[in-house]
Amino acid sequence: MELEALQEALPAIKSAGAAFVAISPQQYGFNREFIEQKKFTFDLLSDLGNQTAKAYGLVYTLPEDLRKIYLQFGLDVPKHNGDDSWTLPLPARYIIDRKGIVRYAEVSVDYTVRPEPEHTIAALRELQS
Amino acid sequence: MSLQEKLDAYKAGMVAKAPKEALDIMHRATEDLRNSAIMEGVVKIGDPAPQFELQNAAGALTRLKDLLSGGPLVLSFYRGKW
Repeated sequence: MELEALQEALPAIKSAGAAFVAISPQQYGFNREFIEQKKFTFDLLSDLGNQTAKAYGLVYTLPEDLRKIYLQFGLDVPKHNGDDSWTLPLPARYIIDRKGIVRYAEVSVDYTVRPEPEHTIAALRELQS
Repeated sequence: MSLQEKLDAYKAGMVAKAPKEALDIMHRATEDLRNSAIMEGVVKIGDPAPQFELQNAAGALTRLKDLLSGGPLVLSFYRGKW
């Protein structure tokens, strides 16, 4: 849902002079499927073993009781990620400037809460002005 | 509808369908995460962004430094398509 919203916001992100990519721990075949299914025009990078998410401090492990529920709901994290660590990144949205410095950071411990794309675009415009 | 309104609507549909026991476990997991120290260790405004080199959906390696060559980058960490 968040990536669909960011796809819609992509022209505004680009007109603010920025690029957009998403990172997920899924194996890249699943990312490709997802891109084709949703007709995304941005890139989705495959962070196997959550190595990059770890460097950003975002990784957590799903507790045992929750794993069972995910599987009951058909959310097979090990299959998608290609490992049985049951680790995921916290949802996070960053703006990184040309020099590689983080200028905007929205990280949520509750995966059902995400910032509006407009919020990110406003921050981007402010950064560019 | 805003993104958060869509997420809230989805969540309400889920809460209506899922067994209470499952919802309790999901809720507890989020609360445990909220009470953990994880947020103290996340990359914040002003930090240098950790470099990365990852495969895109076509299998090609993509580097942060290349993504920054044309201007700033919006970067989203996403759990998965499921």
